[in-house]
Amino acid sequence: MGSVKFQARLLAFFLLLLGVGSVLYQVFVQHVPLSQDETDQVWVVDAEVGFNARPNKPVKVRMFVPPQNNAYTTLNESFISNNYGVNVNTEKGNRQVTWSSRRAEGNQYLYYRLMLTQRYAESPENEPGPQFRPAPALKGPERLAAEALLEPIRQHSADVETFISETIKRVNELENDNVQLLLGSDLSPENRAKVVDLLLAMSHIPAEPVHTLRLAESQGQQPELWLRSYNGKQWLYFNPVNGQQGLPEDRLVWWRGAESLLKLDGGKSGNVSFSVHRNEMSALQLAQSLRMKDAESFIDFSLYELPLPAQQLYRILIMIPVGVILVLLMRSLVGMETLGTFTPVLVALAFRETQVLYGVLLFTFITAIGLSVRSYLEHLKLQLLPRLSVVLTFVVITMALLSLLGYKLGMGSGLSVGLFPMVVLTMVIERTSIVWEERGGSQSLKVALGTLFTAILCHLLMVWQPLVYFVFTFPGVLLCLASFMVLMGHYRGYRLTELVRFRAMVEGDKH
Amino acid sequence: MLWSKTRKALRARGVMGINQRNGDYILRYNKRSLYPLVDDKIKTKKMALDAGIRVPELYGTIATEQGISTLRKVVDTHRDFVIKPAEGAGGDGIMVIADRFEDYFRSASGRIITLEELEHHISGIISGIYSLGGHRDQALIEYRVTSTELFKRISYEGVPDIRIIVLKGYPVAAMLRLPTRQSQGKANLHQGAIGVGLDLSTGVTLDGTWLNRKIQRHPDTANAVAGLTVPDWEDCLSLAARCYDLTGLGYLGVDLVMDRDHGPMMLELNARPGLNIQIAMDDGLLRRCRIIEDYLESVGDKDLPAAERIAFSKSKFAVAGPVAVEPQEPS
Repeated sequence: MGSVKFQARLLAFFLLLLGVGSVLYQVFVQHVPLSQDETDQVWVVDAEVGFNARPNKPVKVRMFVPPQNNAYTTLNESFISNNYGVNVNTEKGNRQVTWSSRRAEGNQYLYYRLMLTQRYAESPENEPGPQFRPAPALKGPERLAAEALLEPIRQHSADVETFISETIKRVNELENDNVQLLLGSDLSPENRAKVVDLLLAMSHIPAEPVHTLRLAESQGQQPELWLRSYNGKQWLYFNPVNGQQGLPEDRLVWWRGAESLLKLDGGKSGNVSFSVHRNEMSALQLAQSLRMKDAESFIDFSLYELPLPAQQLYRILIMIPVGVILVLLMRSLVGMETLGTFTPVLVALAFRETQVLYGVLLFTFITAIGLSVRSYLEHLKLQLLPRLSVVLTFVVITMALLSLLGYKLGMGSGLSVGLFPMVVLTMVIERTSIVWEERGGSQSLKVALGTLFTAILCHLLMVWQPLVYFVFTFPGVLLCLASFMVLMGHYRGYRLTELVRFRAMVEGDKH
Repeated sequence: MLWSKTRKALRARGVMGINQRNGDYILRYNKRSLYPLVDDKIKTKKMALDAGIRVPELYGTIATEQGISTLRKVVDTHRDFVIKPAEGAGGDGIMVIADRFEDYFRSASGRIITLEELEHHISGIISGIYSLGGHRDQALIEYRVTSTELFKRISYEGVPDIRIIVLKGYPVAAMLRLPTRQSQGKANLHQGAIGVGLDLSTGVTLDGTWLNRKIQRHPDTANAVAGLTVPDWEDCLSLAARCYDLTGLGYLGVDLVMDRDHGPMMLELNARPGLNIQIAMDDGLLRRCRIIEDYLESVGDKDLPAAERIAFSKSKFAVAGPVAVEPQEPS
């Protein structure tokens, strides 16, 4: 016995482990939303390209767009233009869109819209970069100035990382004569980055400018310039203006390299303006729309992969164990008596079709009619089988009459009974009658009420949407339920009703 | 919380709950395959006869509609008899014929019954009205037990019976079940009969339980239930203990009746005996079962002879102190 108990506990433990493990895996690795109402931030980035087309000349507009393998998941990307051909190509890690048109005139506007989310995104691959580059040939005062700047930088740094941040610090000391000489009159971040790049090149340290966009509600944002360098293990990002190190979370790398964002052939005064909006989207919807795009999401190998009608069915079926466990609790812990073991679950399923209130009324009314017919037939001293058959026939007639009445009164589908509730009701009446035969009327009333009560609870639990979502999305929950059921199999405690039943034995103790 | 206090108090008294009974006793000691032995009264009776255990004499069985016509022949030689379903539960479907009146029969309560009515009743039994699950059944016609005078003053109609719970052949608890007006002469506690605890060592009655309450007096006759001694108590214990060897069911409820002429007889066996006996005895079944289980472990689980088992039970489950509060008087 002891070893059996241990085995059962072991089994329960493993079921629980498996169940909880699968749920945790889905939550923390697959990022499955915990509730249906969970929403995710979705960033909508709009880039508006405006330019003036020269008449009678073909127009070709090239603009960088973010590469696919960034830290965000692309939900949707669209290129909106009128009378332009669109072509996207990838080149040296950048993506570029080319809008082209044979002729266009006047002010032209092209739009690029990108929708991004951080959920389900995988960290981008870490492709290695160069670790060495030849030093450029510098002459005259520039060479002197650069070397004068590099000398203290070398002394104050230990590795590539500190070297770069030291360089940025030096270049931003604008009162320094050497810096002034190298920068000339242009103090823009681009030029500073260029000077930093120059100094790094002198020391054979490769560096590359990256242009980033900040994901925050904004209008008219301009890409911010950063520098990045590969130290053999990872890319290091630096802000060339304030020396800040490490790319903040909310940055989206738009393109890399020194080229400008927009290249315009056959037009003039080209200009790109960015606006960023934040949207909310149901996490589930998001996963589904990713699925449509064949992107990887938790939908793979989950019940959401089933065709919709099958999904609908399983949303109901998968709640049956939940109802079953409630019946188990009501019977083993509370001590409520029910017809059969799982009849309440079936009745609860029938309530799905009839609605609770109407279902309860119907259940009570038809059972009452069935039982009164039964007791009259008992008076006639009919045998069990013929008696039950007559009862069931009358039940069906009552249902038909109810439907007819409902239809005539214009209550529409309200009073009609589906096939399934009808079958369940018939079964309930049969069972109630048998209990009546075997254990008397008051007992059968008690059992019927217990069944009804448990069925209502089951129904409410089984249609509770957050729970339905949870169990359907995390089927591992079923294993946890099974584990609990195994444990309940060895529950030896009192039922609540027994506390009342044996109360007399304890009261005797007090006096 | 009030409940946890009650729970603890019940636990302390060793009261057995349904979950515990089902899981630790019925499931553990009673093999499923042995159930038909006790569910079918005809099988039980035949087995008991083979083993020399006293049972009410079987006059005949009727298994088919055609067989009903043999009823007259079966009962012709008997003035009184009992008809019951072989697989009935809770005392339903039992018809007691106490006497004859010309061509009619007279029931225990004095109602006049025709032969046709008897035949209809048997037809109902055969079609399974009273059997669990409603499948076909047999009717058995047997000797009518006459109650001893002793119990007359504390019972209303019907015949009181004695329920003894036997664990691995050791009697652990006993009670006398007395019919009341409410139970309509049936000795079933669910139907309103009284359960009166018995001192296992002497067979003396203790206080009783009625509808889960403790009582001292019979509600119909107003006589005190405590202090009576069951006659042939040794015989009763021996019958009960031997039923374990008979069936192999480790946790068994043995129902005995006390016949005026033949003494104690085994009426039926129950593989799922109820728990109300605890209120009747005012003692927990779990506490008593644990004593037996500990003892069994100490003797290495071997089956001892019935006499030794009874001696052990009597030594352990005697109720201390004088129990006879009221002088016994012949009624």
